[in-house]
Formats: sequence, C-alpha cells, structure tokens
Amino acid sequence: MLLARVLDDKFASLYRAGKIHGGVFLGRGQEALSVAMGMVLRPGDVFAPLIRDAAGRLAFGEPILDAVRTYLGSALGPMRAREGNVHRGRPKEGLLPMISHLGAMISVVNGALLARRFKGDTEAIGAASIGDGATSTGAFHEALNQAAVEKLPLIVVVANNQYAYSTPTERQFACRSLADRAVGYGMEPQTVDGTDLGSCLKALGRAAEAARNGRGPQLIVANLLRLCGHGEHDDANYVLQKLKSSPLGRDCLKVAEEELQCRNWADANTIAAWRGESVQKVEEAVAMVQREPGPDPFKENWCALASKHLSEGGGEV
Amino acid sequence: MSITYIEAIREAQARALAEDPRVFIYGQDIGSFGGAFKATKNLANDYPGRVMDAPISEDAIIGLGVGAAIEGRRPIIEMQYADFSTVAFNQIVNQAATLFWRTNVPCPITIRLPCGGTSGSGPFHSQTMESIYAHYPGLVVMTPATVEDAYSMLLEAVAIDDPVVFCEHKLLYYHLKADKLPNEALPTGKARIARQGRDMTIVAYSAMVHEALAAADELATEGSQVEVVDLRSVKPLDTDTVMASVARTGRLLCVGESWPWGGVTAEVIARVASEGFGLLDAPPQRLNAKDTPVPYHPNLWAVHRPTARSIAVAARNVLRK
Amino acid sequence: MPQLGESIAEAAIVSFLVKTGETVEADQDIIEVETSKATLNLVAPCRGRIDTFAAKLSESYPVGAVLGYLEATAEDIARQGLDVPAPEGDGKGPEKTSAGESTEGNGGGKKVEPTVRGLPVPANVAGASYMSPRMKARIAELGLHAADLAGIAGSGAAGRVTIQDFEKFIDKLEKSFFSQASTMRVAVADAMRRSWTRPLATVALPVCFDPMLAHRKVCRPKPGPALYGLRALAVALAENRAPAGRLIGNKIVHPPAMDIGFAVEAEDGVLVPVIRNADKTSLQELVARYDELVELARQRKLPVEATGGSIATVTNFGTFGLTWATPIPLPEQTLVLGMGAARRAPHWDVANGKFIPVMEANLTLSFDHRVLDGGAAGRLLARVAALLQSPERL
Repeated sequence: MLLARVLDDKFASLYRAGKIHGGVFLGRGQEALSVAMGMVLRPGDVFAPLIRDAAGRLAFGEPILDAVRTYLGSALGPMRAREGNVHRGRPKEGLLPMISHLGAMISVVNGALLARRFKGDTEAIGAASIGDGATSTGAFHEALNQAAVEKLPLIVVVANNQYAYSTPTERQFACRSLADRAVGYGMEPQTVDGTDLGSCLKALGRAAEAARNGRGPQLIVANLLRLCGHGEHDDANYVLQKLKSSPLGRDCLKVAEEELQCRNWADANTIAAWRGESVQKVEEAVAMVQREPGPDPFKENWCALASKHLSEGGGEV
Repeated sequence: MSITYIEAIREAQARALAEDPRVFIYGQDIGSFGGAFKATKNLANDYPGRVMDAPISEDAIIGLGVGAAIEGRRPIIEMQYADFSTVAFNQIVNQAATLFWRTNVPCPITIRLPCGGTSGSGPFHSQTMESIYAHYPGLVVMTPATVEDAYSMLLEAVAIDDPVVFCEHKLLYYHLKADKLPNEALPTGKARIARQGRDMTIVAYSAMVHEALAAADELATEGSQVEVVDLRSVKPLDTDTVMASVARTGRLLCVGESWPWGGVTAEVIARVASEGFGLLDAPPQRLNAKDTPVPYHPNLWAVHRPTARSIAVAARNVLRK
Repeated sequence: MPQLGESIAEAAIVSFLVKTGETVEADQDIIEVETSKATLNLVAPCRGRIDTFAAKLSESYPVGAVLGYLEATAEDIARQGLDVPAPEGDGKGPEKTSAGESTEGNGGGKKVEPTVRGLPVPANVAGASYMSPRMKARIAELGLHAADLAGIAGSGAAGRVTIQDFEKFIDKLEKSFFSQASTMRVAVADAMRRSWTRPLATVALPVCFDPMLAHRKVCRPKPGPALYGLRALAVALAENRAPAGRLIGNKIVHPPAMDIGFAVEAEDGVLVPVIRNADKTSLQELVARYDELVELARQRKLPVEATGGSIATVTNFGTFGLTWATPIPLPEQTLVLGMGAARRAPHWDVANGKFIPVMEANLTLSFDHRVLDGGAAGRLLARVAALLQSPERL
C-alpha cells in the first residue's frame, strides 16, 4: 500500500513537471481494497486490474519497472510504448492489460478461466477490478451474467468511490446498493468498508475461498471515497465536502498505519523506514527509466498482425 | 455425393475439433440445437463440452473468446447473424484486433459471421460486414465464395494466429453445392481467377462472384469476354492478381454487396487507380448495394443489391467507354 | 450497321426505303445512310419480312448497332449462309446480322452526332481526342506522339481510340515496309510539330527580281539570292522589331539583335546557320561569311555558335524550282521569309501602256498569327520587297 502510494505520488509530481505524455490516474484512497485483491490471488490466477490498482498490481507481482516504464514511455516497457499509463499488463502471466472501454475486461477474465477449466486447472481463480460507474455498462452486465451461467471462479471487486469522474452515484444507479445486483445475476455478494484494510482482507479472503471451492462468481462492493481527481488533470472540486469529512472519506493508508501502531505491530519509526524504502525504490526506478530510450518510429515494423505474410504493407513506415 | 456450403462449414469445424484439442465453439443456439443454420449440427454431441451455448451477450461472447485465446485456446465464435456483431464491435476491434500489437501476444480467435441478404430477411438479418472490419488493423477478413473455399478457408482461419472475421454468405448456405471437399487450396491472401476473359475485369467476392459469373455468361453471348476475379479474402486483398488482370483487359468493374461509401469496391479502385493508372483504358467503375438499409420486400430487395442483370448493364457501360 | 469503309465508324440514317411489314428480297436496298464520305444503301441480309426498324431517321449509329429486325424462314437464312455464327475474329469490328440479337446495350443507345458533315473523323471532339492512361503509357513507351497517331480510326465511345485500336494499328505498321528515320528527320519532325502548336498564316507578294539580278551580275564575289533576302529582312526588322517579337503570355518579347538564319538543305533535313547582327554589316561584307556557313552546313560541320539564337529565318525554296510555298517558322521564331523561283512574267507598264517582260518571284512571309496580323505582315513584306528592288541600299 505504502509503495503504491509513494509511486502514485511520484507520478503526480512527474505529471506536474511535464514529464508524462497523456493522462495520469491515481489510486489514492483505494490501496487497501486493491492490495487485498492482489494478495488473495496467487501466481497462476488471472487478474484484470483497472486504473486505480497500483497496490493490487504490486501485490500480484507486477514489477515496479513496468509501471514506471509505461508511464514514462520507455521502449523497454511491457507495452513497448504502444500503450501508456495504466494500460499495461502481461497477458501470459495472467495480468490482463485493460482497454479503455469499461466493463470489457470482465468477459476476458471469464474466457481465461474457461480455458483453464478446459486444461483441467481447477485451482485458478480470477479477479476483475471495477468502479461504481463501470457497473452501468452493458459489458459489465453481460460478463457477470455469463460468469454466473458458466459458474466461473470469478471475483468482481467494485470500488464504489462515490464518483465516476464527476458523476455522483445517484446519477449512476437507482438500486439501493450495488451489491443487490448480485442476486439478479446469481452471484454471491459482500459489502465491505473499503477504508479498512482488515475488512478488505477478510472479504477478499472469503470470496477467494468460495470461488476456489466452486461456488461460482463472487461480487464484492467496497465503499470508500476517491481521494484524488479522476485523473491528475482533474481537481475534483465537485466532491462534496460532507463526504470528505465523513468516515467514508478516511484515508485507508492512515487508518492502516494507526491500526498497526494501535496493535503494536509496528511503530512510527518502522513505518517511516518503510516509507523511506519505498521512496528509494521508486526514485531508483524513475532515475533508471528516465535514461532509457523512447520508441524509434523508424524501427517500428508497423504491423498489427502476428501472421506477417498476411499483412498489407507491414514493415514499412 | 454433393455437399453444400453450410455442410462444408460444418465439416471444417468438425475437423478442427477433431484435430486440435485447443478448439472449442461458442455461440447462441449452437449446442444441441446445432445452430440457427445447422452449422454445428451434432458437433455438441460428438465433442461434448466443446460446443457451448452462450447467452445473448455478443460483447461477452467475444470477450470470452479473447480471454480463452490469451490462454492458448483456439475459439471459434458463431455470431447468429453478422448484423448482431455490432453489439460486439468494441470487443472485436478494440480488444481482439489490438491485443497482438499492444502486447505481442497473438489472439487466434475465429469469428464466423453469417452475412448477406436473402429475400425477406430485412435490414438486420442481411448485412455484409466485411468493409467495416477490414478497415481496422489487426484483423484478417475472409469472404469465401465457393463450397471449397468455405471449407479450406475456415480451417485456415482457425490455424491463423490472428483474429479472423469469417464472412459466410447465407444465400450460398443451401444453394451452393460441390461434389466433394478439396484437399488443397490457394493460400489466404490470393485471389482466384473464376473466369478468364480479355475484354474487361470484374472483381467480386462472396455471393457477388456468382452474380458476376452469370453476368459474364450473358455478355459472352454478345461477344464480350469478361474476366471474373474472386477476391476470397478482402483483407489481405490480393492487389497483384487484380492488377495483373487489369493489365490484361484494361477495364475494371468492382462489385460488392455492401454499401457504396468506402467499402471493398472503393478500396480496389483506389489501389488500381493509384498503382495501375497506366493500365486503364477506361475509367474504373464500381457497383454496390443502394445507400439505404436492406429492405424487406422481395421487390425492393431484388433491386437493392447488385444482380447478374445490373452487373451486366454496368459491365456494358464499362465496355462501351 | 455494317463496316462501310476502312475508317468509317458510324453513319446517319437518311431514309427507310421499305416499310415495316413489307417482304424484301436478299440484297434489296432497305435503308439509305450517309457516312462522312458518301451516301449509300444498306441491303437486306436475306429474303424476309421487315419486322421492326430500331433506328431513327437522321440519327447516327456506330458500326455494329442493330438497325432493325427481319423475320425470315430458316431456309432463307440458311440460303445466305447466315445460320452459321460469324467466326470469333479479332481485328474486325462486329459484323453481325441482327436476327435474334438483343438490342440492350449494343451501342444502340449511344448516339454519335457528327456536328460538321463531311469531316473524316466523328466530330464529338471530346471523345475523339481522349487518350486513356493506358494509351498514354503505351505511347510514351513507344516514343510516339499524338501527331503520329492522327490517322487511327477509333472504335470506342464517341469515336475515341481504344487501346485495342491502337495495338491493331501498331501491329499493322509492323507488317508494312519501313525505313529508319534519321536523327535529323526526327529532330526536324519534332521542331515542326512544336512549331505547329501556334496558329500560322502566310502572306505573299510578287517582287521584281531584275534589280537584284542586275546588281548580282556585277558583284564580286556573288552574293546568293538568299543573302539578299536575309539582308533585306535584317534592315527591315531593324527599322521595326515588333513583328519578330515572341508572344509569351501577354508580353511581346522583342528580338535583342538581328541574328537571322537561313535554310540550307543537308542530307535528310534542313540546317539553319545564323548570320549575327545582319543589320550592321553590308551585303558585300557578308558574302564571305555566308559562303563559309553554307559550306560548313553542307558538310554537317557547323559549329554550335553558328546555329541557334536566330530571330527569323530566310528560305530560298526557289532553288527547288518552287514558285510558292508556306514554310513553317522554327518553334522559337515568329517569322520565316520565303523566296520563290523567278520566272519571266508580263508586267503592265502603265507609262507606256503595254506589257513588258520582267523577272518576277513570289516572296512569302509565314508568321505566328498571334503576334501579328495580315496588315503588319504585309507591311513588313512590302518593305523587304522594296529593299530587294533597291539592292544598292543593302
């Protein structure tokens, strides 16, 4: 969580320094939920993170260099600078790179899980991260229905951070709670306080176990507040003050640090040291990547097909 | 023994299922029902668990296919009608078509689209979608016109590592027959000279190949020898064969069942005009469906799309210039 | 519509000589048509009954168009050998009888109307001159010009030349006897073709050559007749340069110096050596240079500086015995002065009221009609004539 927060803060300052092309999307406030997802997943599982899942990605095992390289446009990144910021992944390692159309990744996780089933892999589960806004898409609806019909071991984690860009939840859905939708699909729901790391870990743990035991797809709806703009280009002045000062608006990182100290599992110095390590890791990564080259348009093969012989004019600029 | 176009498609799928354990088929009503057109008749029986009924969720159907392809499967997706693939448009062009370019991981998914009009089918059961999909990078678009190509090209589509949009033509499903299935075929990306001629070239694909051949027969009685080129795949499009034909004849008519604006016919003419300008002895022409949705009534439908008769008229115009 | 002559592409219907429903005999005249060359009658292909006429009066139809239908018995058709289909030949336009032919699209709908009767080419100008990209590519490949192809009859829409017409023409050429054109010939051809892109006109004036001939008799060395013309032209132009100017856009570029060329026949063509500043040197002083240039030209040894840059040319076609000619100015020049052969001609002596014999020759001036008109041309020619008749001034 700490590393994710430090990394996000770094991207924010790089953005303000003009060093990043395109958008920057942070997960401030969602680290607890996201990290819980990454931690219940094991190597061999399938994970489709979205735009605020720095913590979850790190927990799942994504190297920090992937994030830094993709944001800074290094040719050595996993997407080879053909995609940027949060649009990154390693499909062969179960980490699916998102496309911008919200909801579209969930059915892809379904397909991956189905393929595992064909291979006789009964252990693997999948998790898809999604926001309150994306639950309105047709793709979301189709995918949850499909997962339930196929009884796939899928966990859908909805981070209800109260806003989809500038749209508050009362303009996004009319049901009492997003968790109620689970019944409609035939999924098992849970609602959780997204600001509390302990609750998140418990909920994800229960869902993962249910999925691994063949109980079909799980829906987790976590309530929290987005503590940053939709992107760093957005100052989020539409977020209601009353939400910010409510328990929903607590910073999960602070809550976790307080809890650790409360339970004497770590003291302030230890936490400061951890923060220092994170800062160092991030700074080293950034320093290294800033020396790396961007893509050379004249060395690109400009071919979108794996079968080169079927490409028209591929290989020429 | 004779085999229809749809039976050939079924045979190809059966063979794919038999020979490659990674293959599975997913789509609506394809399981025990055998598919709306019986393209998967008995396959669910013969290959249990690998021919699966999907809910009416075209977006999720394709998304699932992509996920399975990432994990090494070879999904064949049947859309019930090409017209419904627009619900899955996002997944086809933004998910499947971009995966390899973005991640270097290929997406070997085959999407079968029953295309084209039949009398009385109306605007949403008649569309030919090849032009829209060909426009997007990262897709292979096949348009088989013969029973033999329906068979061989579907097998090749499954074997290709890239997403293939396989445009089958519904009018050919039951009406087109062949004596037997082929053992070999032209590779994808090569067009076929369906009929040789010296006076002009008609480039066509899918059902229009047969209309063009009938038009060529009519013109032969008038002393004109028309060459007909069957593109077989519109992406990649075999520019070389088309160009060589125009080099022989000097006159070009391109016929397509989709709409006029920016389709396959426009692409062919653009290529010939820019790369083969000096081959043309007359301005190149194209013939498409009328620029309206496909009408329901047979009277209207008969005039909406190119037919042997209207192709012959257009061809005479080209010959006359 | 049959092929009525080699270059005929179409004909117009003048009258129908029989009515529908009438029975006609084989070879009976049934339709009167007019081509660009003649009026003639089309005949019935076999015995039968006129069923319909598809053609209309006064309209033109291309070769191969269906003009009507004749109902005939199989016997009568066979009698004329028409039951065997015509062989699929290349090289001939469609020569079909119309029994049972469909009219659709057989050219019957496309009417070609000659706008001017009697022209040898169907007069839909746009069609006749249209060259397809393929034609142009082929022409370029063979190193030909549109001028070389003026004689090809077109079988395409509105009489245009199609690539098939062109290839047949080339094939035929290759079967003819031909000799190689010399580089001189090709160069002259190109110059003349380029010159002809301008509208050229010619004016003429008969001139009495006796003064010049008398002057020449006592000259040592003797100036050639062309030199007299050259010097006279130089003096006349020095007095008024405008007629020798060149029209570029909307400006007339005046000649910078009186550099005048003269035509010398050499082998397979014509060379044009140039006398520089011919207005500044007298006739007598020019003779040596003139003779030298003629000799060099005949031996094809003219140095580069002795050719090119002339503002007008003089040609003495009289040496060939010609009395009248319309030479073509070089592409970069506006004028060419021609001198014809002198003949003894009767001249009315007004003072003495009788005809006296004089040596008379025609002077012609061919000129780019964009730069000057008949009046200016005439005045220039008159001045040259006057100077030639007072050769001591030269």
